[in-house]
Amino acid sequence: MKYSYINSRKKSALTQEMKLLISFFSITLFMLFSTYLFLVFKEYRFSQDRTEIVQERQELKVTLREMEDENLLSERVYTQNSVLKESIANLFDLIPARITLSQADLLENGLILYGITPNKDVYNFMLQAPLRSIFHKTYSSFYPAENGWLRFVSTNHIESDELEIFEEEEIEDEN
Amino acid sequence: MLGKIFESLYNKVFVNIIVDRSKSTVYIEMCSKDKVVNSYEEVFSTNSLNNNMLEFIATNTEESPYHYISILDRSATQGAIPTCSKNKIAYYEDVSSVEYKCFNEKWTYFTSQEELYSLQKDYEKLGLDFIFSPFVILADFFEDKINDHMAMFILIEDSYISLSVFDNGQLLFSEHLDLEHTANDELLLYEDINEFTESKDVEEEFNENILEDEMPINEADGFNEDYQRFALIQSAVNGFYKDERYDSVFIESVYIADGVGVSNDLKRYLEEEMFLSVYIRHVDLATRVCELAKSELGI
Repeated sequence: MKYSYINSRKKSALTQEMKLLISFFSITLFMLFSTYLFLVFKEYRFSQDRTEIVQERQELKVTLREMEDENLLSERVYTQNSVLKESIANLFDLIPARITLSQADLLENGLILYGITPNKDVYNFMLQAPLRSIFHKTYSSFYPAENGWLRFVSTNHIESDELEIFEEEEIEDEN
Repeated sequence: MLGKIFESLYNKVFVNIIVDRSKSTVYIEMCSKDKVVNSYEEVFSTNSLNNNMLEFIATNTEESPYHYISILDRSATQGAIPTCSKNKIAYYEDVSSVEYKCFNEKWTYFTSQEELYSLQKDYEKLGLDFIFSPFVILADFFEDKINDHMAMFILIEDSYISLSVFDNGQLLFSEHLDLEHTANDELLLYEDINEFTESKDVEEEFNENILEDEMPINEADGFNEDYQRFALIQSAVNGFYKDERYDSVFIESVYIADGVGVSNDLKRYLEEEMFLSVYIRHVDLATRVCELAKSELGI
C-alpha cells in the first residue's frame, strides 16, 4: 500500500535524550571496562611478580644451600689446613737441629722425608724414635753424601683403619 | 534489527491534519503495535500552521521519535484519471507539472507539483510524512461499494468536493470541485435558487419560507452551501455526460461521504433534480487519513 504522494521521513530512535543516555552509558561502560582491564593487568603483574619472587626464593634457597655447603667445605678445608699446618709444625718440631731436611712429601696416610744426617745414630735416636710413635710403619734407607754425612729417605705409613677412625673422630669433633 | 527493537519500544504517534476554510483539525492517535493507546482531537482557528498548533503537535510528538504527520491534500488542481497507462494519461490530463500515482493498477490520481511543494513548504517547521489525495480517501471509504456498484461517489469537504464515477471498480470520471472559487458567483447561485423555488408548489414554498425565517444564520449559510454543492455536482455530471473522453453511462445512484455534516437539502436536491438514489455516510476525515497513514506503515 503506497498512496501518499511523498515518502515518510526516516525515523530514528536516537533523539537528543537518547544520544545523551547512550553517551552516559557508553562512558560508564568504558570506565568500568577500563577499570576491569586495569585490575586484570595488575592481577597479572602481581601473579607474575609472585612467580618471580617464588622462583627467586627457590634460587636463593639453592644458592644458600650451596653457600652453606661451600662454608662447610671451607671450614673443613680450614680445619684440614689447620691440622696440616699443625702437623707440619709438629713435623718440623720433630726434626732435630743436627739433621737437615731436603724434602718432605706429605701423603694421605704417610710421610716421606728426605734429608741429611751426620750419622745413623743421630737419626735413629733423634728422629726415628718420634716417627715410630706416630706412624705404624717406618722404613729408613741411607746412602753416603759427598761430605761424609748420610743422606736418608724415611718412609712412614699409618694403617688405613686407624686413619678412618681418626677421620671419624675429626668429623665428630667438627659437628 | 536494532531499529526494529527501538521501534517496538516506542509508541507510534500519528498526527493527522485536516485543513478547512477557517480552521485546522489536528487528530492525534497513539498506537502501541496495532493497538490504539490514546486518541484526541484539537481544532485550531487557522488554516495555516501557527505557533499554537505547532506547540500542540510538538508536545505530542516529542515523546516518541516514531511520529508520522499526515495531511489531506487541499490543492485545487487535483483529480483522478481512469487509466494507469502512461500513454493514455496525457489524453485526459497534462501531466507535465503534476505528481501522479496509480491506484491498484486501475486508475490514477494526481495533484499539482507546485501546490504539493507549497504545502510542504507551509508545513516545513513540522515536516510532513504523508500527503493523501481525497480520491484515495473516497476509494478507501467506499471500498465495499466501489468494486460491485455502478454509481457516483462523492467526498464532501469544507471547501472541496471530490466527485468520481465508478463502474464496478473501474473509474469512469472524476472531478475535484472547489467550493471557494465558485462562492463568489453569488448571482448564478441565487438565480438557481429562484428557479428551484419557482418549481415548487405554493404550500412547499410557504413552508420553506417559514423555515428560512426561523433558520439561524449559520444554517442558512449551510443551506446555501448545500445548494452550491448541488449545483457544482450537477455541473460536473453534465460535464461527464457531454465530455467525449469519458465512457458515458447513466448514473442512478450516488454515495456521499459527508465530511462536514451536510443538511438533508443536498440529498433532496439530488433526488428531486437529478433523480438519483442518494446514500449518505458520515466520514471522519481525520480518522480516515490516520487509517491510510497506518496502512502506509503496514499496521
